[in-house]
Amino acid sequence: MRAETPLRSETPLLSVQGLTVTFDGFTAVSELSFDLYEGQTLAIVGESGSGKSVTALSIMRLVTLGTRAKIAEGQIFFRQPDGSTIDLVQADEAELRKIRGNQISMIFQEPLTSLNPVYTAGNQVVEAIRLHQDVTKAEAYQRAFEVFERVRIPEPKKRLKEYPHQMSGGMRQRVMIAMALSCDPTVLIADEPTTALDVTIQAQILGLMRALQDETGAAVIMITHDMGVVAEVADDIVVMRNSKLVETGNVFDIFEKPTAPYTKALLASIPRLGSMTGKSQPERFDLVDMDAPV
Amino acid sequence: MAETDVHGMSDGQELPDPHLDTSRLRQAPAKYQGLRMFMRNKAAVFGAVLLIAILFITFILPIFVTGDRTERVGSIHLAPGAEGSTTFGTDYLGRDVGRIVMQGGSATLKVAGLAALVIVVVGTTIGAVAGYYGGWVDNVLMRITEFFQVLPGLLFAIVIVALYGASTKSIVLAIGLIAWPTIARLVRAEFMRQKNLEYVKAARAIGASDARIIFKTILPNTMPVVIVQSTLVMGGAILFEAGLAFLGLSNPKDLSWGFYIGANRTYFLSNWWGLTFPGLMIFFTVLSLSLIGDGLQDAANPKLRGR
Repeated sequence: MRAETPLRSETPLLSVQGLTVTFDGFTAVSELSFDLYEGQTLAIVGESGSGKSVTALSIMRLVTLGTRAKIAEGQIFFRQPDGSTIDLVQADEAELRKIRGNQISMIFQEPLTSLNPVYTAGNQVVEAIRLHQDVTKAEAYQRAFEVFERVRIPEPKKRLKEYPHQMSGGMRQRVMIAMALSCDPTVLIADEPTTALDVTIQAQILGLMRALQDETGAAVIMITHDMGVVAEVADDIVVMRNSKLVETGNVFDIFEKPTAPYTKALLASIPRLGSMTGKSQPERFDLVDMDAPV
Repeated sequence: MAETDVHGMSDGQELPDPHLDTSRLRQAPAKYQGLRMFMRNKAAVFGAVLLIAILFITFILPIFVTGDRTERVGSIHLAPGAEGSTTFGTDYLGRDVGRIVMQGGSATLKVAGLAALVIVVVGTTIGAVAGYYGGWVDNVLMRITEFFQVLPGLLFAIVIVALYGASTKSIVLAIGLIAWPTIARLVRAEFMRQKNLEYVKAARAIGASDARIIFKTILPNTMPVVIVQSTLVMGGAILFEAGLAFLGLSNPKDLSWGFYIGANRTYFLSNWWGLTFPGLMIFFTVLSLSLIGDGLQDAANPKLRGR
């Protein structure tokens, strides 16, 4: 929860309306709607298989890649920097390629595997820059150096020349963030960016992302199952379960007065300091009737 | 929760990992590390030296050794070292075996090299496209691949050479058409495995096109496989060319190794040197190529570097 929330602009930057994604008849995301506003962080929370990642990949239109997935219904309106609005569901590949990495970029869960093992870190960032900007190799390299500095990579000059396998997980995730930010996107989608990292590095990466968001003004969609992460970074929250929207709203409201029983259970699942006082053993978690009407 | 400042470490201080001593890795510049890995494989270095020696014998040495190889230098069937003979003996026409073997190599190596190039380029491209796109593209391309795979290789090559004549072009074409399916299937399998990996998804997420993902993102990752296979293919092409030439399907003027073995076959019982020396050249060339392939496999894999 952030102390100051910037004033919301009237029209959302990204608006998902009635999104339905199916895999061979199985519905992975059903009738999902939410809005993302400029400079804000929206957290999509839910358990494994609730449709969080599918939602993220649908926004990038990467969900149909190598799978039988289909965006069956819905619109995803995205306001481009030039002011025009585009429906990402209807956009063709060429338009999408211009948007991906340039206006909307994505950070993946596994920093260990999401960098190409045969190129140096610098090379990969340079490639990302040159895909979208008409610059020389030297200029792109200089820009990559600056982005590396911005994501607080120590000794950026040396790191630019290193291969992914020479770096630690946290460092690789910083490179991924650098690559995602290299073209100054307006929306950054982070799909469980800290799940594969240990706790101290998690805190660093979350802190870094927040600092970068303040610097660049990008809107962030944070996908996570960790309510602690949500509390740390989010402005708004979308709770998902079984491919459906459970509850959405301001993070303060949801944390203080959750209405859906599932959200209550999710919040109650966070261990609290002192909750074990006077008990010799951990207790069974109370079963909640998740499907009870709100 | 802005007051709980957990991101105080955002100045980028990574905790040092005591188990990972990376200082040694960073000493050598990246571009020499592949060479270093190669040099560490003694067998591969031996193969490289052998290949350089063979290339020297077939391409450089003939410049300095004067005299026509078809010229008669003494009596026929003189053993190496016999009186009036040459170092490597004379053949059934009294020609110098050493000189013929030395000069015949260039024809063999040229045909085999060109054929290997055709095989690798065609095989890799078809395998990459089939593996990446899958679906009906894969189906069509794989049926074509299978068609070429079930063709009886030698017969098919004989037909091609019979139709188009025993020129370099037709022999290269014949070997190329027979041998590309192996590489295509290998590259396809590698693409099918790699295309679902996270880094490919990440490449697409930064806006890369299909062509870029195939050739710049995935293909370099399949290179260890392709390089090793292509050295084997090269060896195979040399053997195949020798086989065709042995049957007389090569330009007789080239006097390539295989052709010369075929020509000396009749006198095998009394004249062992006419077959043995060109045979040894073929053997050592193929051996050196497979040893080099082994070394290249280590060198092309960045994960093995610095170990």
